[in-house]
Amino acid sequence: MTTHPKTRDLAHRLLAYEAVVGKTSEPSESATFRVYEKLRQGLGEFAGVAGFQSLASRALVLAKTEAPSLSAVRVAADGSLHGLGEFEHQMDIDRDRAGESPAGQGGVILIARLLGLLLIFLGESLTLSLLRIKWPEAALNDCNSENGRSA
Amino acid sequence: MARGGPQRLQLREREKRMSTQEKVKINKLPTGVPGLDEIVGGGLPEFSFNIIAGAPGSGKTTLAHQFVFANASAERPALYFTVLGESAIKMLRYQQQYTFFDPAKLPDSIRFINLSQVVLEKDLGAVLEEITREVEKANPAVVVVDSFRTLVRKPQSDMDLQSFIQRLALFLASWQATTFLIGEYAEEELRDNPIFTVADGLFWLRQTAERNSIVRKLQIIKLRGQDSVPGLHTFRITDAGVQAFSRTFGLTARKRNPPGDRRLSFGVPELDEMLDGGVREGDSVLVAGSSGTGKSVLATQFIAEGINQGEPGIVAVFEERPEAYAERATSLGLDLETPQKDGKLTILYLRPLDLSVDETMQSILDAVEKIGAKRLVIDSLAGFEMALSPGFRADFRESLYRMIFALTGIGVTILSTVEVDESFTEFPFSTYSISFLTDDIIRLRYVSIDGQLRKIMVVIKMRGGNHAKDIREYEITSKGVVILGKRLTEYQGLISGVPVHSDRSDSKEEPSQGPGTGKKR
Repeated sequence: MTTHPKTRDLAHRLLAYEAVVGKTSEPSESATFRVYEKLRQGLGEFAGVAGFQSLASRALVLAKTEAPSLSAVRVAADGSLHGLGEFEHQMDIDRDRAGESPAGQGGVILIARLLGLLLIFLGESLTLSLLRIKWPEAALNDCNSENGRSA
Repeated sequence: MARGGPQRLQLREREKRMSTQEKVKINKLPTGVPGLDEIVGGGLPEFSFNIIAGAPGSGKTTLAHQFVFANASAERPALYFTVLGESAIKMLRYQQQYTFFDPAKLPDSIRFINLSQVVLEKDLGAVLEEITREVEKANPAVVVVDSFRTLVRKPQSDMDLQSFIQRLALFLASWQATTFLIGEYAEEELRDNPIFTVADGLFWLRQTAERNSIVRKLQIIKLRGQDSVPGLHTFRITDAGVQAFSRTFGLTARKRNPPGDRRLSFGVPELDEMLDGGVREGDSVLVAGSSGTGKSVLATQFIAEGINQGEPGIVAVFEERPEAYAERATSLGLDLETPQKDGKLTILYLRPLDLSVDETMQSILDAVEKIGAKRLVIDSLAGFEMALSPGFRADFRESLYRMIFALTGIGVTILSTVEVDESFTEFPFSTYSISFLTDDIIRLRYVSIDGQLRKIMVVIKMRGGNHAKDIREYEITSKGVVILGKRLTEYQGLISGVPVHSDRSDSKEEPSQGPGTGKKR
């Protein structure tokens, strides 16, 4: 079971957006970390810390089946992500310089899994509405609906 | 000199000024719940502090969502605080299934904020602080706390719940927010609960299982500042959310039409004659008889004649489908298809077995309103009763009374059919004891004459009218009900169903004892 291409595309777009914005605002943080943190803040507000933590934990378990590089990553009780590490960060920067994906494969998969769960539970319209809270400027509208279990 | 003369005058002047100038106008907000605006007296008072109470699953959250979606805007958003209980993600997952849920309103017009962490880790003071912070930031028009009851179950904190509610009510009123607190309460908790004294409005939702059906009722226990319709109102939860059915069917405010003298024809000249020219407009007519006596045929002729006269009509059927009803009319030479296409006739098929009386009545009323119907046929009362949820059957007569009173009051003429158990010793009008609901009663029955089972008709009652006293024989032909000859004079005991040939069988027919020929006998 892999992430749906459209969900992966949405994750890519968020990561690409953060890679550009992050260059000037928080150059020391990886795009994956910034996207995850924005999701944590945005979703935590309405779902609560525990609500977000449980979603993120599920997303991580699913992501690990696709990306073994995430094996050391864990979700803390407050929903924060630990263990992405310097390697991930360095990989982000190298790929970015090479004009490749703004995040490592593991990061893309993790974010895509998290978005996939939101799409399953809330549907496309509501998920995009929630994402716009944190990414009002980003182009998010091209994501096709994915309400099944295939995410 | 009489004491108080000038003072009384001053007082009157002051009252007059108060009534025209100084009285604050309370805006009424749409509830977003069909039928509820009528029940609460036109809408929910702006800036009111309300509690929605009821058992789990009774529709509290859905009702609050409907209010939120009806009133939130980007300029004056709604803040929806979730506490403990239902997960916010699951709540949105389910709530978005309702048609009123507009995802475009999120997040600019409606924001969901989860307070569960504050509740779990801190005390009520911190919860109040968090709500205050968010309200000051967003300047919301609507605030919902779902469910505030979970706060009560939290171990004792520095601030007790009553104080929390009081301070919250004070704060939110100052910030010009209309507020809903949602809580699970059992009925017995309603009495002497100090929390409820703080609220301006108290909405109680209840659901009970009656035999195999669920009966949902809504009560406005309290609503400051305006008149709400008292009593228990049926409500239903559908794809569109909560829909309430006012006990008054929204017709209380309507001006009643004084009864006129206009007569409505049945399309059966002899019957019109028996009715002194026809049914009085705005009357409620009962056509009673056993199976096969032609009640539905007569009702169809009544509605078809109305359409011929330019009077739109509604037929509420319970025992056969509209297509079958229209086909049967065709076999009588009556076209019910064309007027349906032209919007002059609606045949309502109301068959689900768990309908409440009020929502059935509402369907009829909506149809009447939609096409401006002047004639309504209910065919039949027995089918109507059977279509209701068992729990509602006890309310049948009362609801029927309310509907008939409301509809005839605005000039709609109602013809109801009712099947009666035919006995050859009695002459009942109805098994429902509803003759008091009707202005006019026409009784159809079988009689045994000369080795044949024939049919007779008699006008039993006509309120305020001089109807014929004749017992007339009739047949059902391809042209519908056809009344034969003059009154039956050669038999005695016709209404028993087993008449005896009288000695006057060879005498000439006597003139009809109809209207204009004398007084009632």
